[in-house]
Amino acid sequence: MKYATTVGDRTFIIEVNRENEVIVDDRPEQVDFRPIDGHTLYSLLLNNRSYEAFVEEREGVYHVLLQGRLYTVTVEDERARRLSQVSRGFAPPTGEIQIKAPMPGLIVGIPVEEGQTVKAGQVVAILESMKMENELKAPRAGVVGRVRVKQGDSVEQNQVLLTLQ
Amino acid sequence: MFKKVLVANRGEIAVRIIRACRELGIATVAVFSEVDRTALHVRYADEAYFIGPPPARESYLRIDKILDVARRSGADAIHPGYGFLAERPDFAEACAEAGIVFIGPPASAIGLMGDKVIARKTVQAAGVPIVPGTEEDLRDDEVERAAAFVGFPLLIKAAAGGGGKGMRAVYRPEDLRGALASARREAEAAFGDGSVYLEKIVEGARHIEIQILADAHGNVIHLGERECSIQRRHQKLVEEAPSPFVDEDLRNRMGAVAVKAAQAVNYVNAGTIEFLVDKARNFYFLEANTRLQVEHPVTEMVTGVDIVKEQLRIARGRKLRYTQDDIRMNGWAIECRINAEDPYNDFLPSIGRLTGMTLPTGPGVRVDSGVYEGFEITPYYDSLISKLICWGETRGEALLRMRRALEEYRIMGVKTNIPFHQRLLDSPRFMGGQFDTTFVEERFSLSEDGQGDQCDPEVAAIIATLVAHQRGQQAAQVVARDSRDLSNWKFFGRYERMRR
Repeated sequence: MKYATTVGDRTFIIEVNRENEVIVDDRPEQVDFRPIDGHTLYSLLLNNRSYEAFVEEREGVYHVLLQGRLYTVTVEDERARRLSQVSRGFAPPTGEIQIKAPMPGLIVGIPVEEGQTVKAGQVVAILESMKMENELKAPRAGVVGRVRVKQGDSVEQNQVLLTLQ
Repeated sequence: MFKKVLVANRGEIAVRIIRACRELGIATVAVFSEVDRTALHVRYADEAYFIGPPPARESYLRIDKILDVARRSGADAIHPGYGFLAERPDFAEACAEAGIVFIGPPASAIGLMGDKVIARKTVQAAGVPIVPGTEEDLRDDEVERAAAFVGFPLLIKAAAGGGGKGMRAVYRPEDLRGALASARREAEAAFGDGSVYLEKIVEGARHIEIQILADAHGNVIHLGERECSIQRRHQKLVEEAPSPFVDEDLRNRMGAVAVKAAQAVNYVNAGTIEFLVDKARNFYFLEANTRLQVEHPVTEMVTGVDIVKEQLRIARGRKLRYTQDDIRMNGWAIECRINAEDPYNDFLPSIGRLTGMTLPTGPGVRVDSGVYEGFEITPYYDSLISKLICWGETRGEALLRMRRALEEYRIMGVKTNIPFHQRLLDSPRFMGGQFDTTFVEERFSLSEDGQGDQCDPEVAAIIATLVAHQRGQQAAQVVARDSRDLSNWKFFGRYERMRR
């Protein structure tokens, strides 16, 4: 199986055919790859060099924590890559995103209003949890859609607080 | 010695205190809320009593319930740890009234030092230099007028505060109003008291504190300094002893002033005097912490003094076992606070079950932990889950050990700030001791390239690809089986029927 794997601005073509070998950009590398806890921690011997990494997949993107550094990695197999290349350019990246509570807590403030334009990184909600006030920021610029909570509300983890359009 | 000590706390500090009691042959009593039934402090103590629902207000802050447990269990002393009831004079008084020894300073000293406004006045009268600021509990309109006098940048601080709660830095006059409201709100929630005062920000300052030990017979000594400038949002993250900035002369001068400050309030037991030190080595009294500090282990590692055991002895009325001349600093110690926070997502707290954990060990490594594999991290208490402390003959050796130990430390199931510490230890400025209290927020970034760079993105790419590949293969197998839909028995039955 052939994959196109992208980290930042670099794309590697990685072939996985045999159990103990990967071919990275036409270069064969010896690998021995094992899960440690069965969920997130993996051990890799790459040409006998030992690495350990936490790997988490969210919405098709792999987050690899390796020696204190977080890498955001996308992995596409050949078919998916061809498909995405064809469809690229058709649909501009729009859509509604939901701002969710990352943990249970108390809403101490919503410093934005419905219909307000916000910049990426602007604080859209303040949530008190673990005895601290935590500022939740807009992941990208947009217009505030529905605000579903108000000051003083207790919220559950993953509860939608407001939407961005 | 005491026969039985109640530990009015939870987490790593409760475990730390139980350990000291164990070593002294003292029985221990733990208290726990609904979510802490299986917490480590409950498992380690000799006895444990339920005290209420998860919110601290209804359990760990309930003086009546804790004193009731003390009576029922027959405890003759209470150790408050840090946070919760540790700096509440009314709690120390209530203990005294109940005939139970409070392991800490007298209520009067907590009162004087705990109210930061009064503390500043008191130590100033004793000749201790203080940071310019306001002195009173201010109303909102007074704050606005006073701010102009103090000058920007300034700090809004909760009079009852500590640990960075209810504290806000304000750099521009137009930000004052919003910061004030949020500081009051946080102070109200954390301490039940929203009163605040203002303090000028000493720019380029380091946060350096002196550990004090005082007995009930008038002897006061200091155990040298701790460097605590590595902070984020006024929460300390890394502490070391000694400080790379402090020489013998400055240590002696700060120590003497700290002893003076303690004597000014007739201090007894362990305490800490915090100072801001500017580039010209002028130092100003910041506040006093009338309790055991989170970062006490670094002092223990370099002085060899077990501070918690000393607290127990002092509370029992014993004389200090050390004079100032006995205290020598040996080597270097550094502590990293391990918090359940995601450094790659704005340090948001992370909760959930700790599904796996490998602790670092080996030469010069100490872990004060309050969690174990399988334990659930809840949103009710602060995010500190353990402290990793490393000792070395020199600062360089201590740092290299810490780096090695951080790489060994594996925590699965919740996110931790271990990557932050790893990146910090790789930063040349930190290694060179070139930092002040604004370093983390203004001059440090997780993506900055340091010297410890050995990994390249290719390794991350290979790992992600192999995980994706394995998942793809598993999914293919699952689909293949599902498409047949039925159990082997049914499948075989139908197959047989068809052949009939």
